[in-house]
Amino acid sequence: MKKIFYSSLFFTIFYIGYSQGYQVNLQGQVQQGMGGAGTACMQDAASLFFNPGGASFVNGTAVDIGVTPTIARSAFMDANTNQVSRTNSPVSTPFTVYGLFAVKDSSKLKLGLAIYTPFGSTVQWEDGWTGRFALTRLQLRAIFFQPTVSYKINNKLGIGAGFVYADGKVNLQKDIPVIDANGNYAHAELEGKANGYGFNAGIYFKPIEKLSIGLTYRSQINMKVNSGDAVFTVPAALEANFPDGTFKSSLPLPNVTTLGLAYQINSKLDVALDVNYVGWKAYDTLSFDYETNTTSLVDTKSARMYKNTFAFRAGAQYKIKENLFARLGIAYCMTPVQNGYVTPETPDANRINYTAGVGYNIGKHFVLNASFYFTHLKRTDTNLETNLSGTFKTNVVAPGLSIGYKF
Amino acid sequence: MKNNFLSILFLLAVIMTACNPKFKEPNVDKGSIDASNYVALGSAMTAGYADGALYYKAQQNSYAYILSEQLKLVGGGEFKVPFISPSSLGIGSSNNAPSVLGNRTDCQGVVSLGPVKLATQGDLSIIGNNVYSVQGPFNNFGVPDVKAIDVDKNAYSNMFYQRMASSPSSSILSDAVAKNPTFFTVMLGLNDVLNYALKGATADSLTEVSGAVGVGFEASMNNIIDKLTANGAKGVIANIPSIKSMAYFNTIAWNALALDAEKATSLTQFYSVLNPVVVFNEGNNGFIIEDNSQPLGYRQAVEGEMVLLNVPLDSIKCFKWGSLLTIPDRYFLTLSEIQAIDDRINQFNVILKNIADAKGLAFVDAHAFFSKVKTGYNYNGVSVNAAFVSGGFYSLDGLNLTPRGNALLANEFIKAINEKYQATIPHAEATRYPAVVFP
Repeated sequence: MKKIFYSSLFFTIFYIGYSQGYQVNLQGQVQQGMGGAGTACMQDAASLFFNPGGASFVNGTAVDIGVTPTIARSAFMDANTNQVSRTNSPVSTPFTVYGLFAVKDSSKLKLGLAIYTPFGSTVQWEDGWTGRFALTRLQLRAIFFQPTVSYKINNKLGIGAGFVYADGKVNLQKDIPVIDANGNYAHAELEGKANGYGFNAGIYFKPIEKLSIGLTYRSQINMKVNSGDAVFTVPAALEANFPDGTFKSSLPLPNVTTLGLAYQINSKLDVALDVNYVGWKAYDTLSFDYETNTTSLVDTKSARMYKNTFAFRAGAQYKIKENLFARLGIAYCMTPVQNGYVTPETPDANRINYTAGVGYNIGKHFVLNASFYFTHLKRTDTNLETNLSGTFKTNVVAPGLSIGYKF
Repeated sequence: MKNNFLSILFLLAVIMTACNPKFKEPNVDKGSIDASNYVALGSAMTAGYADGALYYKAQQNSYAYILSEQLKLVGGGEFKVPFISPSSLGIGSSNNAPSVLGNRTDCQGVVSLGPVKLATQGDLSIIGNNVYSVQGPFNNFGVPDVKAIDVDKNAYSNMFYQRMASSPSSSILSDAVAKNPTFFTVMLGLNDVLNYALKGATADSLTEVSGAVGVGFEASMNNIIDKLTANGAKGVIANIPSIKSMAYFNTIAWNALALDAEKATSLTQFYSVLNPVVVFNEGNNGFIIEDNSQPLGYRQAVEGEMVLLNVPLDSIKCFKWGSLLTIPDRYFLTLSEIQAIDDRINQFNVILKNIADAKGLAFVDAHAFFSKVKTGYNYNGVSVNAAFVSGGFYSLDGLNLTPRGNALLANEFIKAINEKYQATIPHAEATRYPAVVFP
């Protein structure tokens, strides 16, 4: 009888995102200028990421450090109310560090270390926005460490593999639809450290001087949050219903299989093409397991139902002068998010990325590369779970710069 | 160098601005309605009555008021409401004060969260203080407790109407028609069954289907709609939700008598001599309820029967109601009573639909909408259901709606208007309206 007046106040679902929409797929500036294609063209130390099998074909020892400030702006127009809500996310700064080292006494073996941040962004929706009960803020930080070995079997064939350790942090916040005497909605903040392991392996094949082929496989990495902190700010009367405590969750970062081609059209013009096949199907459910459950705070399982997708990336590099290069690229990325599953943390859509870049060699040792990336996403959907219905639009602009040193 | 730096900053600023996604201005159109003078007819829900009383904030959050705000986007005019003073406590049908959610101590000393009246009585100064000359003429003719058959009664004695009537002899309908509405909504008929249901089917009565204006539902509704449409006004008719969907009738389960094995055995023994049909088991059991059709004047409740929200819980917890003593008839509805009420609602709803069709008016299937809420659904990530206190839809009286519930109901009206009159009136953002406030 005691519970008559206070039945379950369901704390529906927590959303977290492996944000394809914000996935910072920004790696080497050279490849970035060429639409993100780089599995078959071995130009610099970034090949540690793009194709460990080809890293051994890069001359000498090379170190490359880059950063790509990424500005993403999303907005949502509610289909029913016409209300527009916007994000005011801070600029994220994914960075890359590649170090590729020649091994003494061996012209065939190369060792490398790549450190990169494929997920490092914050989505912050404006206060009181329509989807506040789905998400108000999502911060993802992940840093990948990839020690790599690359071996040149002969002048035509190279293989390589790297072990990937991923270390990350996630902070997810949303409002809870219970209101206190001051008119404030309750709030939930989930924060946790996550880590996971995987590998990145590739084969590089150069049958003729002008043509090279790359095939790589980056494994799935399950980012596990084993003991995150859940903090609830709720009216006093509900504190027992929303106990602060720990939670468990996990997020699969999908595997990526890539086939790449590069062709030297003439002494000035190179073209490259990459096709990615991304194993997004692994992300079918997002679940949260709270250490302490109550009638209000129940473990959640939320369907994501991602599907495997392709991405096509093409780019060209033109040698203007002996030490000056211009690059252009384009990519078409299919969204893994099916209709009915679009959420504020992944307002994803099929999209075209436009990129451009320049490279400049300073003397024999230094190289400066800059790139520019732009994409626009538009997706209209009604989420099957929240019934949030409307159109998301996102613009992403990412200018990047790197400096490399080789000897 | 400094210039370079500034120009880079400037460029970044330009990029960030250009980066903001833009949307085409959406089409907002009134379609074929003239919303300039909107009048709402209805009962408690239309008035904004909530938490057991009519008070200023609740009046501002009635579905009719929320709808009027959205109609302002397509040429709607001022929507005059007989507002109670913002500083007043407000008042309920039995002169009671509104309830808030608070901690209550029951007869066993257990403290739990539940509705607590703000005062021993409501603001009695509201009664008899006619505000027509100061605030009228009005657009919101939502009058708590009114039945459809009462709407055209002259000098109708209802304290909520008397405080807004244009004269001592006017009727709700005559006042509404005198406002000369260009657009109207009508949500009537609930009290024609509800007043009876709220008394456990022991007093009041179900309004008859047939009979003259003021007696029969059909003639009374036809009279109302005929008069409202006489000048060509367009409008909306809403039908009547089932009482089965309301928190008031669903919060206390028919079998909420929880017993351990020992108590179950001793209770069964107690009844075994006189009435061996009555058996108790460990776990939940049907309450013992008054039923004068039974030889012994009582029986055990069966699945589907409804205990009303106003049943004194302390009597159940500490004074053996429902176990050794019967729960009085006025606190529950039996299967046959529920059936009779439901049948009548369905008869009324057929009539309402026919009138809407015949007059070419938009139609809100409130019956279906309230059923949908009973099942539960998600609105913009907010779970909406009929659970008392926590469901977000029903206010603390279990019958009328929270501001959020009212906004969702207003959106049902908007959907019907948009569909019938080819309008594109934006919905209200219901998550901006609060539900039950927690201490």
